[in-house]
Amino acid sequence: MNSFLNRRHFLKHSGKGLGGIALASLLSRDGLLASDKPIRPEIESTKPFSARNPHFLPAAKNVVVIFCSGACSHLDTFDYKPELVKRHGQPMPGGDKLKTFQGEQGNLIKSPWGFKPRGQTGKMISDLVPQLGELADEICFIHSLTGKTNTHGPGENFMSTGYTLDGFPSMGAWVTWALGSENEELPAYVAIPDPRGTPQSSVNNWGPGFLPAAFQGTDFNATKPLRNLVRPHGVNAKTDLATRKFLQRLNEQHLEKFPGDTELAARISSYELAARMQLSVPEVSDLSTENNATMKMYGADDVSNPIKSAFAKNCILARRLLEKGVRFVQLFNGAYQTGGEGVSNWDGHKVLQEQYAKHGPVLDQPAAALIRDLKQRGLLDDTLVVWCTEFGRMPTFQKGASGRDHNPDGFTAWLAGAGVKRGYSYGATDSFGWKAEQNISSVYDLHATILHLLGLNHERLTFYHNGFERRLTDVHGNVIHDVLS
Amino acid sequence: MIPFWHSVFAFFFAVGLFSAPSLCLALDSKDHWAFQPVKKPLIISGAKPIDALVEKKLRANGLIHSKAADRLTLVRRLYLVMHGLPPTPEQVEEFINDSAPDAYTRLVEKVLSSQRYGERWASHWLDLVRFGETTGFETNRERPNAWHYRDWVIDALNFDKPYDEFIREQLAGDALGEEIGTGFLVAGPNDIVKGQDPKLGKMQRMNELDDMINATGTTFLGLTTGCARCHDHKFDPITQKDYYSMQAIFAGVSHGDKPMELSEKIKREIEQFKTEIARLKVSLSKFIPKSDEGLREPVSSRYNVEKFQAKEAKIVRFIIERTNSSQPCIDELEVFSGKDNIALARVGAKATSSGDFVHPFHKLDHINDGLYGNSKSWIAAGMTGWVQIEFPKVKRIDRIEWARDREGQFNDRIAVKYRIEVSLDSINWIQVASSSDRKSYQRSNTGKQQYEFSKFPHKEAKQGQKMLIELDSIEKRLVALQNQNKVYAGSFSEPGSTYLLYRGDPDAKRDEVAPDAISAFTSLKLSSSEPEQRRRLALADWIANPDNPLTARVLVNRLWQFHFGDGIVGTPSDFGVNGMAPTHPELLDWLAVEFMDNDWSIKHIHRLILNSKTWKQSSRPKFDAMKIDAASRLLWRYPTRRLAAESIRDSVVMVSGLLNLKSGGPGFNGFQVQMENVRHFFPKKSYGFPDWRRMIYMTKVRQEQESVFGVFDCPDASQSVPKRSRSTTPLQALNLLNSTFLMQQADLFSDRLKKDAGSNTVDQVNRAFSLCFNRFPTPAEVQDSSLFIESEGLSQFTRALLNTNEFVFIP
Repeated sequence: MNSFLNRRHFLKHSGKGLGGIALASLLSRDGLLASDKPIRPEIESTKPFSARNPHFLPAAKNVVVIFCSGACSHLDTFDYKPELVKRHGQPMPGGDKLKTFQGEQGNLIKSPWGFKPRGQTGKMISDLVPQLGELADEICFIHSLTGKTNTHGPGENFMSTGYTLDGFPSMGAWVTWALGSENEELPAYVAIPDPRGTPQSSVNNWGPGFLPAAFQGTDFNATKPLRNLVRPHGVNAKTDLATRKFLQRLNEQHLEKFPGDTELAARISSYELAARMQLSVPEVSDLSTENNATMKMYGADDVSNPIKSAFAKNCILARRLLEKGVRFVQLFNGAYQTGGEGVSNWDGHKVLQEQYAKHGPVLDQPAAALIRDLKQRGLLDDTLVVWCTEFGRMPTFQKGASGRDHNPDGFTAWLAGAGVKRGYSYGATDSFGWKAEQNISSVYDLHATILHLLGLNHERLTFYHNGFERRLTDVHGNVIHDVLS
Repeated sequence: MIPFWHSVFAFFFAVGLFSAPSLCLALDSKDHWAFQPVKKPLIISGAKPIDALVEKKLRANGLIHSKAADRLTLVRRLYLVMHGLPPTPEQVEEFINDSAPDAYTRLVEKVLSSQRYGERWASHWLDLVRFGETTGFETNRERPNAWHYRDWVIDALNFDKPYDEFIREQLAGDALGEEIGTGFLVAGPNDIVKGQDPKLGKMQRMNELDDMINATGTTFLGLTTGCARCHDHKFDPITQKDYYSMQAIFAGVSHGDKPMELSEKIKREIEQFKTEIARLKVSLSKFIPKSDEGLREPVSSRYNVEKFQAKEAKIVRFIIERTNSSQPCIDELEVFSGKDNIALARVGAKATSSGDFVHPFHKLDHINDGLYGNSKSWIAAGMTGWVQIEFPKVKRIDRIEWARDREGQFNDRIAVKYRIEVSLDSINWIQVASSSDRKSYQRSNTGKQQYEFSKFPHKEAKQGQKMLIELDSIEKRLVALQNQNKVYAGSFSEPGSTYLLYRGDPDAKRDEVAPDAISAFTSLKLSSSEPEQRRRLALADWIANPDNPLTARVLVNRLWQFHFGDGIVGTPSDFGVNGMAPTHPELLDWLAVEFMDNDWSIKHIHRLILNSKTWKQSSRPKFDAMKIDAASRLLWRYPTRRLAAESIRDSVVMVSGLLNLKSGGPGFNGFQVQMENVRHFFPKKSYGFPDWRRMIYMTKVRQEQESVFGVFDCPDASQSVPKRSRSTTPLQALNLLNSTFLMQQADLFSDRLKKDAGSNTVDQVNRAFSLCFNRFPTPAEVQDSSLFIESEGLSQFTRALLNTNEFVFIP
């Protein structure tokens, strides 16, 4: 089997197709091939979303990313800093004349919310997110993340694609390109926008970049259905079916003139798959089959807070998709569309307390319920939950304002579920929560770790584009082994 | 089990035919084939060189050309590849009935001389140069004057502008009388969110320059330069110093509109319009309502007028006490003495302010530069502030006009509470106008000056209404005319020094570098103080030069790729050591020599390819050949492939009979746009004639996919795309089956059939097949179709045809 090392020879002998590449991934999974060469997924023309082998035995099968758009402050949620409380109102040492994104900084300001010890571990978590706090024993926090930009658009690009620039494939696109999906009748990768609209970097967060367009995220949520899914107005089911059958006959006759042409055959299959999706997507999106207890657990019945109940429905939709084997689900909390600067997102520059008091409850109960629900259904054993945001915020308030400016030098993300330690905290920021200090980690490391949990080697999952073997992690990233269970 | 993603094939070969990157480190990359001079190969006599060289390779692999395609296939293929539209049944018939031996050659000439050719092939170029009409990044704002570059490329192709000139004009058109060409340099995205953090600004500037360097390297030279930003290129002979030398070439280029000299005729028209507008506004001013409470209309974002009893003034000060959001913005403050605006800088008035927001669009100079719109406006430093105009001498004034954005794009930053004071000595001030007698500002305000006619006698009111209609129309025409002098082609200024940056960090400056090209190839011998335009010209001259080993090879390979689906070099923008080797190296060089010997004529290469046996052969798969070369890379058949997004949309609209062939000018909008600070794009709900122009004229919005055709691998213009991916997905099927756009077209198509073919079903079927497929249906197809139409209706029949493989594949 060492003929794999001679790729020319190897590929010649797998000339009937790319079957050999699957073999290669099996070999490498078993550690038979010590190599840093790219591993290409084998993609069947008529079944682009069928499940494919990972590089090695994975801890997690599916992922749900909860993305708090607008830069959710670590200092008001998960990163407790007693020194910040102690020095409240004093100038920040080292912060003299500091200019961050929006300008000059005022004094250190403690969180308007108190922190309490939670769970067996006694992890200090703020009263802004009490229900997530109760899950502290399930969660593995990474407190020492660092980013590369202090601007939202590039920051969201970075968190979702590994590059600050536009035009790179999103993490979900990489994962579904590599692994396909466990359910071919649903999109392999679903992005669920917040009920208030899209995030700042919008479709970049789930774009395909230079990967085949088939692997982009399909965006719909509990209230906004997938576009063009239903048959056109005025066309009844019988006619619609007859038309599709007629189309199929025309296509099959045409194919007879091009025997063996796989692109033509694939296009015929894509219409069959579309027809199945027309049944399966409405079914998975139909929350009416959920019982009252579930709706209540998520807060989907909360009539006093329609944004919260709408986000709760998105969380239920996420669970239903994961249950059906969708590989990658991105769940956005916060939108730019209906109000930046903290109005509809986590960008609390000016009046943080007032704005976060609205956003906290929207996130807290539904997201906590999602984790609980995944756990009680046994799905957490196979599912990795990632909570992230584009960057953190400053421990100071901005000069002349009651909110925090952008801070990419130290912030928090957390993981829960398949393959990660429970009730664990990794890394730390300095005593005020400004800069990462212990076990400094990067967004690249986070990405490498997520891919690793899915059985993918981030250095070998590459795609050749315009002269580069591109990776999610560029030329960086180390798996954070400390967080693995 | 044969892979169908094209890119997967690319890999297959990339890996198979070329050694792995790590093994290349040992090679001296200067020996790399693509860096050697182009040599004219010896050709086997007797055959056409293209066919001879393709055949040589086929034979070596035990393959032969396929037989010639039939004439119906040929004419359809020719129109689809060269125009992105199927031929009309009449065009087909004309060719089929032309029995002269040179019928096909003449058809090629006819196709190449059509405006439709440039409109199809420009899209290949626009993909490559990441052309977009929005800024990209989070705000994704419009670039309303970027379209000129698209037209310029279409014209260049249609007029067969020699490619060397085409290159020079894109790098330094400002020096060559082709101002629009440099639209290339600034065609890419740029981040316009400017923070206070000084490092952010530097990084954004480095990214803009990086985009220009990369675009130039990949587009013209097929070299990837980007990684040399942080370290020497690992595979190709590009050092980090080379990278910064190239950065120095572009260091004087910034994003932005560029004024173009307007013709005298347009200038005269503009003056006439302005006079007319002033006259109409004066006449209309009596219709400005005093509302029931005696208050004036609320402040508007687009236009406000303050009238008062004439006063002597040396200085006018506009004091903003509150805005509807953020720091206040005024695009132009106009002070009138009679009908003359005496606030203009060019008549000697001087502007000062309480402090200015720092941004290239927003400057104090813009307050009285005579130009309207957000990008020529002033913003105060604080949430409140003042701006004042001092005249050269005391003047008698009676009217002030001001707005947030007379172009109507923005509704934020409006001064909703303000007062206007005048002074003779800057010590004693008298208030002449304020917001206190206006109704309070509401967000729903349409932003236009309101007039009230009902309280006036019928005749007078009617006259007023007529004047208002006239005013609106003239204002629109004025904005259109004024914009003709703006083109998004960059702005140029003499730069400071350029330094090598350690690991690309703008704060880690190392040695100063002079502008230059890649040192392994050449030295441009420029000094650090070389005027910036000369830098770009020198680089252009080195690239657009017959001695450059890459330029011609890279371009002929691109042309080959768009004809056959794959290039001779499978990595069209990477001719470096890490790229794929050519499948037909002699052919590549032969084409490159032909190209340069024929005045860099792109049409000449088209003629050679289109008249070759290789291009004209059948596309039918052959079982034995598939076993040897499934992807048809060696061209034993003409490789079929799905049409690009634009060609599908254009073909649909063409067969429905409503293709709008308006060429050139500003594009049409493919979205409903929500005008927030960060633009949001929604699918259109209905479509009309302006939407049925060719898709290349759809305003190219970065990031966003057009809701129906975007999923057909339409690039989002964030990055250079030398070759589109070609995927097949269920979402494509859903969009073509169920979208409003397609259903409307299916209805229109069925209307057309009734009109063209009458009510006879068989005639309708015949007409539909010849429009969609350029052939007549078989008897079985006639029967099946007729039965289907009778049971489900003609619109369902047309809906099905527009979804067929035969319709969307190049045969």
